[in-house]
Parts: sequence; structure tokens; C-alpha cells
Amino acid sequence: MTSTGFSTVAGGIGSCKNSSNLQRRPLISNRPFITQFGTSIRFPTSRDKVRLGVSCRSAGAQPNIVPANGGKERLSKVPISNIRNFCIIAHIDHGKSTLADKLLQLTGTVQTRDMKEQFLDNMDLERERGITIKLQAARMRYLLGNEPYCLNLIDTPGHVDFSYEVSRSLAACEGALLVVDASQGVEAQTLANVYLALENNLQIIPVLNKIDLPGAEPARIAQEIEEIIGLDCSEAIHCSAKDGIGITEILTAIVKKVPPPQENADKPLRALIFDSYYDSYRGVIVYFRIIDGTLKKGDKIYFMASEKEYFADEIGVLSPGQMPVGELFAGEVGYLSASIRSVADARVGDTITHFGKKAHSSLPGYEEATPMVFCGLFPIDADQFPELRDALQKLQLNDAALKFEPESSSAMGFGFRCGFLGLLHMEIVQERLEREYNLNLITTAPSVVYRVNRLNSDTIECSNPSFLPEPGMRKSIEEPYVKIDLLTPKDYIGPLMELGHERRGLFKEMNYITENRATITYELPLAEMVGDFFDQLKSRSKGYASMEYNFIGYRESDLVRLDIQINGEPVEPLATIVHRDKAYAVGRALTQKLKELIPRQMFKVPIQACIGAKVIASEALSAIRKDVLSKCYGGDITRKKKLLKKQAEGKKRMKAIGKVDVPQEAFMAVLRLEKEVI
Amino acid sequence: MLRILQPHFPKRLLCLPPLSNPQTICTNASSTTAVALPLPANSAAYVHLPFCRKRCHYCDFTIVALGSTTNSDSDPRISNYTKLLLREIHATEPNSDSDPLLKTIFFGGGTPSLVPPHLISDILDSLRSKFGISSDAEISIEMDPGTFDASKLDELLRLGINRVSLGVQAFQEELLRVCGRSHGLSEVEEAIGIMKSADGLANWSLDLISSLPNQSLEMWEESLTCAVAAQPNHISVYDLQVEQGTKFGYLYTPGEFPLPTVNQSADFYKKAAGNLPREGYEHYEISSYCKSGFECKHNQTYWQNRPFHAFGLGAASYINRTRFSRPKRMKEYTNYVENLENGSVADASSASVDLKDLAMDVVMLSLRTARGLDISSFVGKFGWDLTASLCKAFEPYVESGHVIGLDVKRKALPRSDFELGRDSDTQLAFIRLSDPHGFLLSNELIAIAFRSMSP
Repeated sequence: MTSTGFSTVAGGIGSCKNSSNLQRRPLISNRPFITQFGTSIRFPTSRDKVRLGVSCRSAGAQPNIVPANGGKERLSKVPISNIRNFCIIAHIDHGKSTLADKLLQLTGTVQTRDMKEQFLDNMDLERERGITIKLQAARMRYLLGNEPYCLNLIDTPGHVDFSYEVSRSLAACEGALLVVDASQGVEAQTLANVYLALENNLQIIPVLNKIDLPGAEPARIAQEIEEIIGLDCSEAIHCSAKDGIGITEILTAIVKKVPPPQENADKPLRALIFDSYYDSYRGVIVYFRIIDGTLKKGDKIYFMASEKEYFADEIGVLSPGQMPVGELFAGEVGYLSASIRSVADARVGDTITHFGKKAHSSLPGYEEATPMVFCGLFPIDADQFPELRDALQKLQLNDAALKFEPESSSAMGFGFRCGFLGLLHMEIVQERLEREYNLNLITTAPSVVYRVNRLNSDTIECSNPSFLPEPGMRKSIEEPYVKIDLLTPKDYIGPLMELGHERRGLFKEMNYITENRATITYELPLAEMVGDFFDQLKSRSKGYASMEYNFIGYRESDLVRLDIQINGEPVEPLATIVHRDKAYAVGRALTQKLKELIPRQMFKVPIQACIGAKVIASEALSAIRKDVLSKCYGGDITRKKKLLKKQAEGKKRMKAIGKVDVPQEAFMAVLRLEKEVI
Repeated sequence: MLRILQPHFPKRLLCLPPLSNPQTICTNASSTTAVALPLPANSAAYVHLPFCRKRCHYCDFTIVALGSTTNSDSDPRISNYTKLLLREIHATEPNSDSDPLLKTIFFGGGTPSLVPPHLISDILDSLRSKFGISSDAEISIEMDPGTFDASKLDELLRLGINRVSLGVQAFQEELLRVCGRSHGLSEVEEAIGIMKSADGLANWSLDLISSLPNQSLEMWEESLTCAVAAQPNHISVYDLQVEQGTKFGYLYTPGEFPLPTVNQSADFYKKAAGNLPREGYEHYEISSYCKSGFECKHNQTYWQNRPFHAFGLGAASYINRTRFSRPKRMKEYTNYVENLENGSVADASSASVDLKDLAMDVVMLSLRTARGLDISSFVGKFGWDLTASLCKAFEPYVESGHVIGLDVKRKALPRSDFELGRDSDTQLAFIRLSDPHGFLLSNELIAIAFRSMSP
């Protein structure tokens, strides 16, 4: 769960198995974002017929799934000892969504026959309101031995960009289902989230899914889990979410193994926000888990980190739609609406308490969002600048991690420098701006935040190559490093080590976790990751490797600013910060690309890559020799004029760099190239 | 916003001699700044005679291929078409009283020389009765080798035709074949012989095409030499344009083998621009050369953006500042003529004309000529601001030698004097493209001019 509107992305960069379906660049526009509950989310646009609904694959009648009647009474209270809060940890495609759907069906939370309809209604309504649909939590009622239990399933995003949000979701649970594909085995992202769950003292229930498939090897995978994670798999549940096998066993295991929440209803209110989103009609909707105390409708509440106070106009539970209730007790999971203006006021990880009776301390683990990746966003059509600003402001209402400030450049005009949690976050924001707000954008190559130690011994942070202090002014540059864990079949160890080496990685260790699979650990600059690292990882391992990374700190590097000059004029947006060893190759690639894309002018145009005053790569565009329409057929000038007007029109789409007209496409291609080669 | 009226213009509509159609000329920005510019007299007529033996491989013009077997003298398609043409001329609004007699008539094609002279005679009669033909009118006809003999030419000359444009295109048998021309080199030589020996033909032109497939610089020099040796008064040199939908368009890509590279075809252009003036042919327009005084008067109408009538299939007229292209298909053209006769053709000429569009026409046409753009006339018609921004856009190209400023005596101005002052000190009287470098890049330069006029 995240504070953003697109939090329920399972898998993603660190865990995507099928790279052809999830190519990250360019974003495939109709790529659905899959929630854990099998809800396909495509960002709604007017021209899209948005497919929002629980996927049908689970909706078919299954003879062995008999929905319990308990579903209808799921709002009724149970003793806290009968509450179970859990999440599902799974790699994308390992069956999390299908399993979640089956749990909802079997508990009668959603009727089999209603499943599609009910959700569609809900979604249509939300779509009209222009918000992004999420299914973040579901309260289920399950009867075991005539005893009613309240089970709360809390969704977790699967992407490393949102690891903080994942940790907050986990902190709202006492247990987790670890779902592993019985033929595929454990993946890097799963591993990362399991470790996070273990750190949060969650009870983990291993589930081997897809045992009905011919390639399933539950025994081998169980052994793999034991070896890698050290989790006892003797009682691992064999399940096929698709065929409804093992679902009852899972529900029973949740009741029996996941501990109930602590009985803290008497303490002052403390509720952990694990998600929030902005609804343009009701303001921010906050999802929370009450750790201590009780919350009643109408209470005046106080957000301890943002120090904002509001009245809880509406509180309720998610089951899976929003169902208002009068009060919620410690251990319960719910939502509230309080006319909150921006998600920044109710950030994920913040603690809700009563304004009149504040808790002594907030819940642990709150962190401010720190952007790690930056890029410039410029409207292709300068007239769209105000629209871009409005759109970013609107997105920020729903995404406290998104940062932006105005930026202007001679070549690109007015735009914004934007900060993101990571690459996926960046791409989602770009995609939403383009799809939902119909903006045409140029994005500069993503950059990280460098720390520049200046000669006067102060340190400045710099995320924009144009603002890097001159060489004479700086003592050293530090760049952010990440520790990256690759999990790969042994056949691809060689190619992946090559990749690590190319990306200035520092090899740390390699371990065979099973006979055929190994983890490789590198420390490498974040800047090397923001390009096409993930695409390379997937292509060099034929899609089999997965990865996970953590920020580990700043290190000094021999970095330089590479400038591009066209006809002697520096082109600011094309400037980049690169490692000195790579500057030559990058400079050559960029100058060659520009030579390809800039139309020939009436004079010779040098295109150079420079470090300071030193030219390290140079190309020259030769002058056009001939561009003439000679014949004038019977005085019919209309066609000729049309051609010339088109030619003149083409010039409008170009940016003048000094005397040279550079087409927008050339900028975009070079920026794309920078993402690849740097 | 474009300013049209300068202080020295009275701030009111300039009322002019009665127009058959009251016309508004306005800018995009505002209709309150509408002015009426004087309409130049219409004294030109283009007549399209679309018949060819077969379509040449580079041609995408409106033609009717007859096939090589029929006898063009008695082909009913030609006589039927001529009847239609006469009906169109007859149904056309006559010129206003202020318009003079026709001073130029141009029979273009197609291959007009395939049309029997008696039909040409009918057309001329019809034009004469409708508009009148000046006694010193230039009457041109396009003729292709192999489609006429001395007596046919004689007949045409007797009808009053006094200028012939001979479509030679190349002096190499293999190039003529590659082009799909319906004649060979011997027909070319025969035709030139007829031209030279024709009594009473004081003015004829020879057409060549450069940058043909497999054409070498040597071949091109040879063609130029042969053209000069034929002693025409006028030579037109067209750089091959590979058009979509033509056989060439299907087979070739410009700049790629077997077509010459862009650099080679630039060299061809420069070769003509270098050689022909040495032989006494003045380079007076991008693709036209002539002995002194033998400019094609009819084409001057086009370059000076003056109005002209047009008749026939696909023909484009320019009347009351409105360009109109007739249907390119025979059936639709027939309908058009019928509608014209019963008065149901909508008069498009009353529509308002955009001043900037008009200025663009003037720029693109005048910059094709060696005379160039007449600055004081342009300022008068389109205002100081528009002219100034045009000059500003051209400044770098004056420096690079692609554009030249001239004073009233047509003396080239130094770069420093290339500026449009508001006072009478301004020496800049004409802007022209340099020969050959500016002409060679005329598209680019005109596009730059367009951009400066509509930012």
C-alpha cells in the first residue's frame, strides 16, 4: 500500500517474470496494472474502455467452493481474539490475485455470481469520479468450528520503489501467506518481502500454488524455501487457487497460525495508515489498522506526523467495497474520510490518534518520502505548461512522494524538475500525465542526486546536470550507491556478471541457493540502474533472473559533466553527468545519434561532446546541397505551396539552437539514448 | 498581429475600380483590418490538352493516354474533348471591361501537338470571341518530337501560334527509353530540324530534364551542348522530381542508385547554371534560361502572381485571387462544364482571401525569378512589419551567400546594407536568391520565409 494512486502494482521491476508483457520503456499504454485481488486497473481515460473488475477467471462455478453464509454478517463484531490480519507475499504470476479472489468467494465476502457485477458497478462509479481504483483491503468472515472469525486481508505493492509502503502494510498485519509457484520457485522480490515480513515478526504460512500444473514440483520448491529462507515447510499448504484446491486449508491455517492482535482497546488511539488516496469529492480516503484504542464516527482525529487535525466524518470497513460502521476497535482494519485536502496530510506510516486524547508516542517506522530519481518534464507544446503544472499538482494530492519544481531551459522552454521514489514511480507518473491529462511530454534522462563537495568545503546536492558546479569549484562528487541482489538460474551467471561489471558494479558475493540457482550481490551506482539495467537483466537472462535493490549510501566517484554542443552552442537539456571512463563512449553515441537526426542545414554544423573545454567526440553535419522544386505545371502552384508550407510547419516543431534548427524528435531520441547508454 | 496599414496609407478601405466580385482580404487575426488591393488585369489563358501517346515514367500530370496505334487526327476522344473545352470557354464569365485583350495563351499538356490544328484553330477562335486576343499576343504550344511534321507546324504557325516549347528531355537514346518517352533520338533531331527551318518561328524553347536514372555528368553536359547547338531562344531545365504514383516513384528513391546522388544532381544544376549563360542564355528563373528578351511571357504571369484563365481537364485558374483546379477526371470535368453552362457552379471567388496567404504566394513565386521580390511593392501590399520579419529571417542567409539584396539599380548590396529602414535611406529594393546556391536551396529558403511570415 502506498500513498500513491497506483500502489497495488504487484511484481514490477524487481520481480517481473514475463518481460515481454511488462517492458518498461516505452510504457505500453494499455498495460494493465494488476492488483493482488485480480483487479485489472488501467488508468481511466476518456477514450479507453476501462476494464475494471475482478478477473473472470476465478468467477466460474467451482464445485468445491461453497460460499459460507458468514459473508453476510461480516460487519458484525467478533472478539479481538478472533481477528486475524494478514497479507499475501507472492511474485507476480505466482497466483496472488487468483488466491485472493478465491478467499473472497469462499468466505462469501463476494458472491460467486455477483463477483463481476458488483465490482463493475463500484468501478464505474469511481471511474466517473476520475480517481484511480484500488482494492487495498478486504474484511472476511469465516466460521471455523461454529466460531466466527474476522479475517482482514491487506494488499501489498510488489515493487521495490514502494518498499517503504510495503513495510507499513506488513506492519499492519500479524501474519502473511507466502505464495510460491510450485514449479517456478522463489524470486528475488519475494525474498525481499519475506525478509521484511520476518523483521516485522509476522507469522509466515508457506503456500505452494499451482500444484495442478504438470511441471509442479512441490517437494523441491518446499526444500528451496527451507534452504533459502529457513522457513519450516513441513506444513506448507499445497494449493491450486485456480481449481479451488487447498483454499479451506489456507483459511484454517490463517485462523490457527496467525496470532490475534493484542488487546489494546483501552489505550489511547493509535492507528497506522497503510494507504491513502485522494477522491475529488470526499477528499483523502485513509486506510488504517487500529493498533491501540477505539475510533468512533465523528471523532476529532489528529495525524501525528503531519500535525493536522480533522473530524472523521465517515469510518468503515473494506469488504471489499467501503461499508460505513459506527466504530472500530483495536485490531480492526478500516477506512476513514474526513475532508482531508491532500494525501500529504495523511501519509502512509503516519499515526492517527484522538485530538483530545493524544497518544504519547506515534507508531514506529514513519519516514518522509525521499526522491531518489529525478528527471525534467517539459511539454512538447509550450502552451501546455499551465496544464502540466495543474496535472502535477493534482497527482501530488494523491502522491506525497512526488516532488516537483519549475525548471526552464533555452532549448526545452518551461517545464518541471520532478523527483520520484524510483524508476517505476517515474514511469507511472509520466504515463498518467500523458494518458490521463493528455499532455505530450519530453522527459530528460533520469538523473540521481549527486553530492558535490565544493572547495570551500560545503556540500551541495545536485540532481540537474546543468547546475553542477564548474570543475574548478568542486573538490569531489559523490553518487548514491545501491546493493543489488540478483537471483538467477546458474546458466546466466556469466552474462549477469558481465552486466554488473559494465555498470561499474562492485562484486560482493555469489551463493548457490540450490543446485541450479544462485544469488549474486553487487554494489553499484544508482545512476547505472536508472537506465535500462532491468531490461538488460531480463534480456541477458532470457527473462529468468529477478532482482532487488537497496540504497546503501553515497560514495565518491570520478564523475564529469558531459556537454553537447551543436554548432558551438551548448545544449543544456542534453548535458549529463557520467563516469569519466564512460564519457568517451557516451559522447560518441550521442553525437552520432544527433548527426542522424538533425536535418542538414544550409551550412556545415559541428556536433560535439565536451568535458569542460575539451572536445571528446565530434561529428559534422554536412550542408544541404539541393532542395528545389523546378517544374511549375501550368501555373498550378497549390501543391507546391502545400509542400513548402509543410516544410515551414516542420521548422516550427524545431528548437533553434543558435542558428541550427533541431527537431523535437532529435531531443527525444537522444534523451532515450542517454537512458540506455549511461 | 500583422499590421497592414502603415501611417502613409489612409486608414480606410482603399476603394478601387469596380470588381465583378466584391472581395475582402483579411488577416487571420482580425476582419476589421480588411483592405482591398488592386486586382491586376487578367490577360492570360492556359489551355490544357491532355492527350499523350503514353504516360512518361516520371509524369504524374493530368493526361489521357491514347495508345500508339490510333490516328490522332481522327480520334473522337480528341474532338469530343475539344467540344467540351469550347463549351467551357463559352460558358465562362467574360472579362470585365477594364480587362485588356489576351496577351498570352499557352497550350500545355499532355502533348498538345497531338491535337489536329483545325481543333486548335477552333479553340483560338473561341478565345478570341470571348476575350479578344491582342495582335502581339504570345501564343505558345508544347510539342513533342515524333508527333508533328513541318506542315503541321506550318499550319499551327498560320493560326497565330508564335512560340513552341519542344519536349526533348534528353539527347541520349537510353535515357529517352528509361523515361518512357514515345520518341527516340532520331525524332528529336528531326523535330529540331523542323524548328530551325520553320519560316515564321522566331521563338522556340527546348525542355531538358536533369537527374534522370543512370544519367552521368558527361551525358548531362552533352545534352546541354546539343541543346545550345539547336539554337533555341529559350531552354527550360527541370530537375527530376520523383512523384508518388509514377513508375519512377515505384522504382526509385531520390538520391539513390540509379538516380544520381543529391550532390550529383546539385552538380547538374550548377553545370547548367554555369554553361548556359556562357552561351548567351540568361538564367531568369529557377528552371528557365533564355536569350535576351525571350522570357516566356505567359510564365511571367505565374511568377508575378497575376491572374490567368485556365480551361480544360485538371487546369488551374487564378481569377479574383482565387485558385481553382478543374476536375482531373473526364466524367467529372464534363459535369463541371454542364454545371458551368447552367450556372450552378458556385462562385468561389467571393470568399475572402487571407492576406498572409497572398503574401506567401508572392514570395514563393517571385523568389523563383532572378528579378526577385520587389520590396517597395511588397511593403505597399503587405505592410512593413511582415516585410521586416522576412528580411530578418533572411539575414543569416545573406551572410552565407544564399540571399542577395539589390538596390533600385539592381546592384548587389553589401551585407551591412541588408536592412529594411523606415526612411527613404533604405537602399534595399529587391531580394533575390543567388544563382546557383540560393536557387538550389529555394525550398528551404522559401520555407524559412514562410515561417517568418506565420510564426
